[in-house]
Amino acid sequence: MWKWLIPLSVLPVVVLLAYGFRTNPREIPSPLIGRAAAPFALRSFDGAPVSLESLKGRVVVLNFWASWCYPACYEEAPVLERSWRAFRDRDVAVVGVAIQDKEESARKFIRDFSFSFPNAPDPGGKVSIDYGVYGVPETFFIDRAGRIRRKHAGALTDELFRTEVEKLLRES
Amino acid sequence: MTRHRKFLAGGAVILAALAYLIYAGLTQSAVYFITPSELQAAPVTGKAYRLGGMVLPGSVEWNPATLDLAFALSDGKASVPVRHRGTAPDLFGEGRGAVVEGSWTGDGYFKASQIMAKHSEDYKAPHGNPGDASYRDLLRTLKKDGTAR
Amino acid sequence: MIPEIGTGALAVGAALALYGGVAAAVGAGTGRSALIASAQHAALAVFALVTGCFLLLAYAFLTFDFSVRYVAIQTNLATPFYYRITAVWGALEGSILLWAWMLTLYTLVMVLRHRAQRDLYPWALAVMLGIVAFFLVVMTIPAPPFERLTPVPPDGRGLNPLLEDTGMITHPVALYLGFTGFSVPFAFALAALITGRVGDAWIATTRRWTIIAWYFLSLGLLIGGWWSYHVLGWGGYWAWDPVENAAFMPWLTGTAFLHSAMIQERRRMLKLWNISLVILTFGLTIFGTFLTRSGVIASVHAFSQGSIGAFFLSFLALVLLGAFGLLAWRWDRLRADGELDSVLSRESAFLLNNLALVAAAFTVFFGTVFPLLSEAVRGVKVSVGAPFFNQVNVPLFLALIFLMGVGPLIAWRRASVENLTRNFLGPVAVGTGAAAVLWLVGVRSTLAVLTLGLTVFTAGTMALDFSRAARARMRGGLGLLPAMATVLRRHNRRYGGFAIHFGILIIALGVTGSQAWSVQTEATLRPGETVRLAGYAVRFDGLSAAQDSTHAKVIGTFTVSNGRGEATVMRPTKKFYPQEQSPIAGVDYRMGLREDLYLVLGDFARDGSQATVKALVNRLVSWIWIGGLVLTLGALLAIIPDDKRA
Repeated sequence: MWKWLIPLSVLPVVVLLAYGFRTNPREIPSPLIGRAAAPFALRSFDGAPVSLESLKGRVVVLNFWASWCYPACYEEAPVLERSWRAFRDRDVAVVGVAIQDKEESARKFIRDFSFSFPNAPDPGGKVSIDYGVYGVPETFFIDRAGRIRRKHAGALTDELFRTEVEKLLRES
Repeated sequence: MTRHRKFLAGGAVILAALAYLIYAGLTQSAVYFITPSELQAAPVTGKAYRLGGMVLPGSVEWNPATLDLAFALSDGKASVPVRHRGTAPDLFGEGRGAVVEGSWTGDGYFKASQIMAKHSEDYKAPHGNPGDASYRDLLRTLKKDGTAR
Repeated sequence: MIPEIGTGALAVGAALALYGGVAAAVGAGTGRSALIASAQHAALAVFALVTGCFLLLAYAFLTFDFSVRYVAIQTNLATPFYYRITAVWGALEGSILLWAWMLTLYTLVMVLRHRAQRDLYPWALAVMLGIVAFFLVVMTIPAPPFERLTPVPPDGRGLNPLLEDTGMITHPVALYLGFTGFSVPFAFALAALITGRVGDAWIATTRRWTIIAWYFLSLGLLIGGWWSYHVLGWGGYWAWDPVENAAFMPWLTGTAFLHSAMIQERRRMLKLWNISLVILTFGLTIFGTFLTRSGVIASVHAFSQGSIGAFFLSFLALVLLGAFGLLAWRWDRLRADGELDSVLSRESAFLLNNLALVAAAFTVFFGTVFPLLSEAVRGVKVSVGAPFFNQVNVPLFLALIFLMGVGPLIAWRRASVENLTRNFLGPVAVGTGAAAVLWLVGVRSTLAVLTLGLTVFTAGTMALDFSRAARARMRGGLGLLPAMATVLRRHNRRYGGFAIHFGILIIALGVTGSQAWSVQTEATLRPGETVRLAGYAVRFDGLSAAQDSTHAKVIGTFTVSNGRGEATVMRPTKKFYPQEQSPIAGVDYRMGLREDLYLVLGDFARDGSQATVKALVNRLVSWIWIGGLVLTLGALLAIIPDDKRA
């Protein structure tokens, strides 16, 4: 009878390990979350002005990319464009900032992925410094009140974009 | 069956000794994770902690002559001054996550015996691409001294 | 093209393996040898398919095929040829492919070697194919190595700079050969349980497999330590990191099994224990792979996450529940035929050895999952580091060293006083003497004194035994060297084991020396300035820069002179990779029998006017690698087939 205790004793160990899926051992809170997003005023590759001020009241997805960032930015670009098209009529703005890129290469990147949302270079890297960007790609989700609510490092997925933006849209 | 009982008793003693060793080891060496807010709320001098947070931009002071490194770790709500003797690991930097192991000194700073910085495999850093040349400047400066290979 | 072919091949392989496993099981259960033959063909086909996939992936790497996502992440246009090959197993998906390939290779060897065997082999084949199927399914669903990347980027990310090293070529290969090698004894153990033939057959069949798997695991661990030592720049070789522990645990239980198997062969005891150990060892290899790939426990080594953790955990649960369930089912047949007569016996020594090893494995396991346990139960995040593991494990390892000396010489069943004095009086005296000498010379580290005493004692027992055996041959008319050679050849298992033990002793001394007597210092120097450490003078000469294919580097030139006036130039570097967030240190070192000198370049001024350097003098570290070499020779000696037996 007691011999069955041996196989059964496997179960609590498995349960404990499964618990590990819920926790994130590497999580370190970012000091930016909850803070007001730093204002920026850039000029897009098309020449049009792009500023955070002008987007107030809308949910803003600020994405930092570069043409030399393989392969993550290449995986993420179609996701960005797709998601933008899905949400453009719903008070959402997507802004792309090209980091430390050559103008030629950046324009080619925009063409290749048929970006229809505004993209701008960041002369002097001021905006990336303001947002504490130290790698690409990084995406910031900013709520209607202009606060940074989430920072995602690495390639975006449709799922992630959708859940985060939907959540922020639901807030009035 | 006294021999059997002897062996069982011996086994029990060994098990008890092992359990004691493990218990003593854990209570002495398990180190608690703590955030800057938690530390500020209840600082305990001398207790070993692992403090995790983001290195506040502008807070890093490095004196190469004395090998003294000072910086602040923040979790967005509170920040803790940290001091460390010796060079920081390569992954350490302003605006990046770090975990330090050490203890609160009671003199107003956290003394770190070890700095562990995070490594992310997910994406690239803006180094060495055609546009920016921060480290290339560095190399160029050195080469100018005529000491290049 | 390649992504589709590869993915298809893996899916077909998974299906074939599943079919083969079922066919072998049904064939074994019903006695239909046609099904077993069919399963064998499936095994062969799966081996061919997986080999093909491996070569296909390597080809994708060699031709810079960035349409394969894995290639785009692991390399870029600047990656040199040889690293493009090793990059194949450099990250998650490729490492699973390597693991799967080794499994199919071992399955093939098993088929060729054991197919004549009627009772256990078919079930063992079923188990092996089942394991193969699992890994192929993992590569089909959560971790596909051939995932396509659209659009195809013009360049790739590049190899993790820490992997640009010879250790990268050998460490995973050796480690995985060890891990996967334990699948075969496990498969035979399950076969023994299923058929009820839990006697000696399964152990005798798998003896050589166990030694080979054990050896590769040992080699993998040693290379891992070596890699950590000369690449990571912290001067150490083992950090009790969860990923390291994950590989160490199966080694501990595997070593225990290696020894207790000998007891079952000789005395028909410990049947239950042996089967449990094999199941545990295999389970720990899966646990290890789960730990490194699931992100459940924080580690500096961990691969990336995803749903793969759930797959491995489910498989682990299935394996352990199933195997231990079978064990409980066959409980009655696992009674021992022999009994333990006395504490002073070889059986007892081996049993104590097993207890120590399993206790160490449990300690490592508990320490590794304790952070998880603490968070789950108390909501408190803790970390468990080196101090805990050292504190608990060091006494256990010292006990093991002692038992290494006692075990091979003490009599079976019950050791008489005569037997004890004859075999151990001399070595005890020599061991105590050595410890005393060390103490008298001024060494005050209890650990060092104890370790040396025990090491000398154990070496003494081995020397005594070997010299007696050689002398017996010499009395028969042989010269010294031929006598020694004959002894080694005739009793290669025993003396191969001795040589392995000797290697472990050397490693133990190396570890003790490096822990007790290593020193380090750090200083910022201007050109011409010198820092001194342990008799060395390190003078900073200047900085320079250079460009390699994958990175640029800053080189610090240092002239190091020792007390005897000899000087050498050392060049630690800081390497800058485009795809990395920060520079990577390149260590320069000089290895020696007594100590290593180790330099790491820290911070430096851009104009070259000063540099911070860390200097370490690591004592006796080379002995660890030398011990590994001796261990290798011992393992080779031990697996030579006997002429007498089949």
